[in-house]
Amino acid sequence: MIKLYGSLVSRATRNLWMLEELGLDYEHVSLDWAKQENRSAAYLAINPAGKVPTLADGDATLSESLGINLYLAQKYGQGGLWPDDDAGRARCVQWSFWAGAELEPLAYGRIREFLFKKEPDRDQTLINDMAEQTGPLLDLMTLALDDNGFLAGDTFTVADLNVACVMEYLDRSGFDISGWPKVETWYKTTYGRSANQKIQDQRAPIAAEMMKRLQG
Amino acid sequence: MITLYGNDRSRATRNVWMLEELGVEYERNMVDHTKGEAKKDDFLKINPGAKVPALTDGDVVMFESLAINLYLAMTYGKGGLWPDDAAGQAACGQWTMFSATEVEPHTVGALIELIFKPEAVRDEAVAQACLAKLPPVLNVLETTLSDRDYLGGNSFTAADLNVACVVNSLNMIGFDFTPYPKMTAWVKACVARQG
Ligand SMILES: N[C@@H](CCC(=O)N[C@@H](CS)C(=O)NCC(=O)O)C(=O)O
Ligand SMILES: N[C@@H](CCC(=O)N[C@@H](CS)C(=O)NCC(=O)O)C(=O)O
Repeated sequence: MIKLYGSLVSRATRNLWMLEELGLDYEHVSLDWAKQENRSAAYLAINPAGKVPTLADGDATLSESLGINLYLAQKYGQGGLWPDDDAGRARCVQWSFWAGAELEPLAYGRIREFLFKKEPDRDQTLINDMAEQTGPLLDLMTLALDDNGFLAGDTFTVADLNVACVMEYLDRSGFDISGWPKVETWYKTTYGRSANQKIQDQRAPIAAEMMKRLQG
Repeated sequence: MITLYGNDRSRATRNVWMLEELGVEYERNMVDHTKGEAKKDDFLKINPGAKVPALTDGDVVMFESLAINLYLAMTYGKGGLWPDDAAGQAACGQWTMFSATEVEPHTVGALIELIFKPEAVRDEAVAQACLAKLPPVLNVLETTLSDRDYLGGNSFTAADLNVACVVNSLNMIGFDFTPYPKMTAWVKACVARQG
């Protein structure tokens, strides 16, 4: 059986969403990092970086949230989340790397400033710089969405899932995307899919607890 | 015909490496991003994001250097740079994403402040902060390579190429590799393939 390691307040939610989309049976092993469970010898043997998420599926054990989603789509989502044509597959890989390399540093930067720091400690110059760099990324997405409504073609694929699960950080840190209406519509439909909703509903109470600790 | 956009002063070099490994035919379009050529209309039709590298291959049009390498390996390197087994493919995806999200932000951050920026505006403190992030990341490679020759097992795959091209960029700033003997031997072996 597929095992996914990582708690509901970690990037593991990205993979839980994917597993739900694919309708796979899996076991969720929630590691508590308040208890350093991700640094235990047993876990380090699975992932020497000690980070979550990690996926174990038969012979394959892998980390990197967005890489895990590409793997799952390719293995279990042929013709659906993983398109049949070269051009569609190329776009799935491209947008997944774009999400990791271009969008995530800015989006996660905002999480660090807005969620992990209290108001007086925030770096306003950095926040402004990041906002300035985020605009062109949303412009680029707008152009891509103009063609099809989805990032890799006419239907929902791993490209949409991997970008939306990173864009979540913009949303959670209060970044206003209404100036990019195509992106906003796409994000609402993508992020609102029932597979993700199921995971977000499980996450909500745990996340609320955590936010109370961080900001309270 | 495959066309690769971007010159040798860009990340296109990692795609040249992959194309040469695969032995596929390709042509190059030496768009010079340092002269603003990536912002011109001709290139914006290929990548509206105005960055190199980009690649076209029939109806495939794509950007993101490491993604291009995975696409090329998946399409032209089956059984070789893109292994046949699920575990080998998983390793390619994992390590390439690791390279993009865990290694490259710090290597590029350091390179920008130490050599790419004009001397007058370089920020040594930023460079040092980036370099300070590297030991735990490089130790993951060192640990992984302690019981195997290549990241995915016993043969060279897209995983190795995509991580080695990023780690090797540290040679441009005289980075001290001595704490990572296994990783150093592996980078050397990988890079030597380029001839
Ligand atoms: N690039 C990695 C990042 C993984 C990561 O940083 N995970 C965090 C939780 S979301 C973690 O495990 N942090 C604990 C630690 O670094 O010790 C991915 O996308 O999976
Ligand atoms: N994540 C992208 C980064 C691309 C990138 O930043 N390319 C540089 C040259 S290597 C560029 O085109 N810079 C021009 C600019 O940003 O205006 C990739 O890996 O391809």
